[in-house]
Amino acid sequence: MKLLRLAGLALALVIALLFAVFVGDQGPWYFAWVVGTVMIVLISGAGTILLDAQEENISQKENTP
Amino acid sequence: MDFISNQVVELSRFQFALTALYHFMFVPLTLGLTFMLAAMETVYVVTGRRIYRDMAQFWGKLFGINFAIGVATGLTMEFEFGTNWSMYSHFFGDMFGTPLAIEGLMAFFMESTFVGLMFFGWDRLSKQAHLAITYLVALGSNLSALWILIANAGMNVPEGAHFDADTMRMQFDSFVSVVFSPESQSKFVHTSVAGYVAASMFVMGISAFYLLRGQHRELAVRSFRMAAIFGIISSVAVITLGDVLGRMDYERQPTKIAAIEGIWHTTKPPFEPWIIAALPDDEKQVNHFEIGIPYVLTPLITHSFNQPVLGMHELEDQAGPRIRSGIIALTALRHYGETHDKADLDLFNAHQDDMGFGFLATRHAPNQDVTTIPAEQLDTVVKQTQPDILPNVFVVFWSFRFMVFLGTYFFALFAIASLLSLKNRLEANRWLLKAAMWSIPLPILATEFGWITAEAGRQPWTVFNKLPTFLSASNHSTGYMIFSLAGFALLYSVFIAAELYLMFRFARLGPDEHGAHATPEHLFSAIQGGNA
Repeated sequence: MKLLRLAGLALALVIALLFAVFVGDQGPWYFAWVVGTVMIVLISGAGTILLDAQEENISQKENTP
Repeated sequence: MDFISNQVVELSRFQFALTALYHFMFVPLTLGLTFMLAAMETVYVVTGRRIYRDMAQFWGKLFGINFAIGVATGLTMEFEFGTNWSMYSHFFGDMFGTPLAIEGLMAFFMESTFVGLMFFGWDRLSKQAHLAITYLVALGSNLSALWILIANAGMNVPEGAHFDADTMRMQFDSFVSVVFSPESQSKFVHTSVAGYVAASMFVMGISAFYLLRGQHRELAVRSFRMAAIFGIISSVAVITLGDVLGRMDYERQPTKIAAIEGIWHTTKPPFEPWIIAALPDDEKQVNHFEIGIPYVLTPLITHSFNQPVLGMHELEDQAGPRIRSGIIALTALRHYGETHDKADLDLFNAHQDDMGFGFLATRHAPNQDVTTIPAEQLDTVVKQTQPDILPNVFVVFWSFRFMVFLGTYFFALFAIASLLSLKNRLEANRWLLKAAMWSIPLPILATEFGWITAEAGRQPWTVFNKLPTFLSASNHSTGYMIFSLAGFALLYSVFIAAELYLMFRFARLGPDEHGAHATPEHLFSAIQGGNA
């Protein structure tokens, strides 16, 4: 099962690499859109997780005698 | 006598502009909100915190309203090409129809199917499976836009096709070069990311409304933070990608870039100012007053300090030989149609790049037939045709500036909003919350101005340098056009009213009443007037 999962991940990696090489070469702006959108989603998500950490930090400080 | 009356052409243009602008009020929000929902749900899957699921469900419902009405407004447009632009459809249908068909079959079906799963699958799918569905909805909606913009890019810079003298239409040479043309790429990326800005402002503005009223704080501060960060990165990207589009226009659509910048005479680098404000006069072909920033225009447009930008007067002069060559092409084409003589075909092929300019001259030719212009009248016809190559400079100049001014404002607002959100000082700066709330419609307005810049700047062509707009329309009666225009205006106004009513209603109700435990049935019953 583990081997199958590893093979699946390896296949996904190969497809991603082929995609990056082909689209990066033929359509650099399409490639930039894919990478940029993923980056925007992840950074904005990280921003809200940071808010959770900030609020926890504040409540910990308030509860500390 | 005209073969298609100018009044009908203008009414057809107005009708298409009206339906496109109405439709485009919904599109940007769909493009951006789907990826914001994906971001919210990603955080939910990673952290397991219920609030992020509530966020995805609440904003998902507002997305649902926008999506449903947006689809309805878009459907009519595809038929308009056939009904009102039949000459264009014949001439360019091979090029234009293919991406449109792919859009319908692949992206639209994909998007619609997965939207259903996204709404109804919360309690029926695993977290990971539902997240994958949400990403597929986002991808599907943006792929819809991709194919439309590929088709539109073909109208602006027709690549990967040639005119066939036997079938009298443009035919595909290479599908790959159509899909991967620089114009297709830059148009898609710029438009898609402009949608991200619109969605960010939408989420940030409604979150600001809650914070101002002291409601739903837990959801509002998180949504505001996410939207502010989403918005600031997208704003930077959209400005960068706009610059790419400007560069494309400089290289491939010089009349458009000259009109955008209000350049009547070829520039003298590097001093040339970038005009911030002016009153372009299309009749007299001058700017009545100008306020500009010196040394900015040349690097901005040409990405150099020594290359000039062609002015509209010089572009008119350059069009003269092309109009003559186009007349030769059309005359050879007519003879080829009658005789099928190879010599006529060879002559046509030698001049076919200028064929569109020949079409443009038909307006001024005796009996609207360029093949029978007497030699003594040729110079007059060419001279009369030369100014026709320019778009409406006033409209293009100002629509571009409104878009740019608004884009700069968004960048500033998102930057301040991100900073204050990261410092947890939102509630202390109520002016920012008010500014965010009142700015909700502005990105939609900016995308509309962008669309006007691109499409009005393409004039007088439907297919740039190939087919003039006045030869593209269908031969309807004026009464028919007025009747259908009034019908569309009425119907689309009802759609807008319904959208605004539902958006306000659900935004005011907020996530508590319609959040964590609401189901799609609540949404549909509310749309039908039931008590959600």
